[in-house]
Amino acid sequence: MRRYYLSKLGQALVTIALVVLVVFTLLRFMPTTGYFTKEEFREMDDVAKNAYLRSIGVLDPTLVQLKNFLVKLSHGDLGRSMTLYPKSQIKDILSDKIKYSVMFNAFSWIVSAFIGMPLGIAMAKNKGGPIDSAGTAYVVAVRSIPSIIIHFFVQVYVSRLFNLPMLFYIDNPRSWILPTISLSLGSIAGYAIWLRRYIVDEENKDYIKFARVKGLSQNYIMVRHVFRNAIVPIAINFPSDFLLLISGSLIIEGLYSIPGMGGLLIKSIQALDNNLVQILVLMFSTLSVFGVFLGDIFVSFVDPRIKLTDSPE
Amino acid sequence: MADPAHGAKNFGTIRNVVKGLADYYYDLADIDDGKDIGKTRDEVVASFGETVGVKALDRYTLEYTLTGPTPYLLSYVCLELFLPIEQEFIDQVGEDFGTSKENLLYCGGYYISEWDRDKLVVMAKNEHYWDKDHITLKSLNFEAVADGVSGVELFQRGQVATTRLTSEELSTIKSTEWEDYVYLADKTLTTYWFIYNFESRNPEFQAAIQNLNFRKALYTGIDAVTLSAIWEPEDPEFFCRYTLLPEGCMFDENGMDYTDYPGLVDYKNNPPYDAELAREYMDKAIEELCDADGNIIGVTPGTKVDMLPIAEFTSDGKLPIDILYTCGSSETEMKHALLVKEMLTNNLGSENVNVILGFSNISFSDEVWALDNWDLVHDSYGFRYGDPSANLNRITTDGTLNDSEYEVPEFDALVEKANEIYTINERYAAFAEAELWMLDNAMIKPYMTGGGSYRMTRVVPYTTPEGYFGMVSYKFKGAVIQDTPVTKAQHAQLRKEYEEALAELAGK
Repeated sequence: MRRYYLSKLGQALVTIALVVLVVFTLLRFMPTTGYFTKEEFREMDDVAKNAYLRSIGVLDPTLVQLKNFLVKLSHGDLGRSMTLYPKSQIKDILSDKIKYSVMFNAFSWIVSAFIGMPLGIAMAKNKGGPIDSAGTAYVVAVRSIPSIIIHFFVQVYVSRLFNLPMLFYIDNPRSWILPTISLSLGSIAGYAIWLRRYIVDEENKDYIKFARVKGLSQNYIMVRHVFRNAIVPIAINFPSDFLLLISGSLIIEGLYSIPGMGGLLIKSIQALDNNLVQILVLMFSTLSVFGVFLGDIFVSFVDPRIKLTDSPE
Repeated sequence: MADPAHGAKNFGTIRNVVKGLADYYYDLADIDDGKDIGKTRDEVVASFGETVGVKALDRYTLEYTLTGPTPYLLSYVCLELFLPIEQEFIDQVGEDFGTSKENLLYCGGYYISEWDRDKLVVMAKNEHYWDKDHITLKSLNFEAVADGVSGVELFQRGQVATTRLTSEELSTIKSTEWEDYVYLADKTLTTYWFIYNFESRNPEFQAAIQNLNFRKALYTGIDAVTLSAIWEPEDPEFFCRYTLLPEGCMFDENGMDYTDYPGLVDYKNNPPYDAELAREYMDKAIEELCDADGNIIGVTPGTKVDMLPIAEFTSDGKLPIDILYTCGSSETEMKHALLVKEMLTNNLGSENVNVILGFSNISFSDEVWALDNWDLVHDSYGFRYGDPSANLNRITTDGTLNDSEYEVPEFDALVEKANEIYTINERYAAFAEAELWMLDNAMIKPYMTGGGSYRMTRVVPYTTPEGYFGMVSYKFKGAVIQDTPVTKAQHAQLRKEYEEALAELAGK
């Protein structure tokens, strides 16, 4: 088992190193003209352009920049943003933003799991019945109507109906309600439909039919057999979901004016903010890779039949 | 700021006005580039006090020594580049300057009391401000509202004092009570214009653009109103501008607007678009440019024009004249390009011109400017201080905005002469003569102003400081907020009173 973990850990570290190296190198291929507006590009003479580029540190050779990046990183210095938040410490930017994304994603996760899973179970138990139909209608509506329309509807009309704030304010908990609802709508549907599907699949299997014939109660079968098997494909994503709580939602954070992580990577790429892009890529790739790694481990606890090695130690 | 290591992008605006500043900057830049100029970096930095014409005489007095007479200085010093800062403070905060509310210095009517990144900036009244009695609003909240629809809804709920509306958002409140509160914000100083590549690698266009009648055909054949309607379908004429320099921001000693000077005023008030006239100019141009068989004189047939990644084509040396119109690839830019092509093809004749559209995908600077891949582009420029030299100096033969690579010694001489005149009326007259030369010769085609948008507000118009230069949009001294939104009628009435007051001031 230990060997398996070490091997997986090694693979994870190599993957992260490769991702960072590739992104770092690709960023250096971006033309430096992107750092200037059209007017600046023509208005500034070469001396001024060079001075600016030197001031943001992009004139050094790639290897020198990589060395500086790694040395600083090893001292816990994430560096400074170059263009998106000029000169601001990246650690300050992230600490300002991560808390909001974590907060809303955690709320949404809890709401989605507590509504989506019972809904999925209820739909499966009442397959073909009114709850199933209503649940399916909800899932189809959420999946088929463009999300931006639903979010606008929630923000403008629901806020009007219940007199809730349209924008988020940290000191006003009532303003947290609508963003949480908006963030949860899709994942409630996701949890519900997948859980329903897995449960229905399991229920049709022979061992369940046999258990029923044996005279076990429906609830016992559901909890001890069906749910435990059905949760496995969903549970594998729990660690990733948890680690990636820090990644915000581009649309919803924008809509409710939540200053979180949503869209930060896209904005930093557009602004050619190499320093910020590197840190974000490093952070997200690390969390994603470890999310998968932990998912494997977690699922082996949820379902003891799953072994991570060919033969038991 | 004068140190190239700090990378101030807009430093070029003031570099040549303050005595010794350019030398100081270039000395340091040379040292940073590894050149030996006989001095060390520390020596140059230490010499700032002696070499650069900026001196703090006492706690409240700053003295600038200029390179020469600068009659427009007052509009110039309100640029943020001139804001003074205490050296001791800079030394203390170093690279962290401006990265938080604590690492800034304040001397105006407000200071930042709260700064929530990407969310909210709260500015509180500065009780130490010299004119604090005229600071009417105790605090100002600048809040990020990412979406226009939310902005309008928040305004309707009374939760924000002002909002902007796009044309689409305007259409949603048409025929509702809110329509009466929408007004069109003023134009900005930015001018949009078409420029031509006089050194194009496309031999047909290169030959044609030297011809005055061809340039006048382009000048009269593009309808500014139709193009302006892309951005402003409700009132496109409002945003058209037919002079190179903006109106309403430079007044002479008699209160006369620079753009009302003889000659210029005719351009200002008369839209040049005239399809018939354009065709006449084109016919004359064809007579002068082509032989009887429609061959363009001086152009070798079969020349391959390599303007990749924008376009690649072979010039046949015959009519129609190929024109490569290059623009960005946004939806608006494409719409704009299609309209320009339609207008030129219809008005100048498809037998005379063949407009090829080229779109840059990633970087206009790299794909178009750097590689010279264009014949015709539309572009815009800001106007930074209240003197015609601000932009006319930049479009001379050696000017930084002369991407057209034209040679205009007559214009250069007129600008040079105007730059040597320091009495405002004569100076404006001389610059107007120079601008007129450019327009008469159709070297550039101005067509639209920048900015302008529909707005709704509860801030009573003209209660805040007005002006065009510096950071006027952030000035709130004297601002009055009313409970109900400002109506169109109220806005028009206040505008009238403001203009009358201006006229009265000018009269005095």
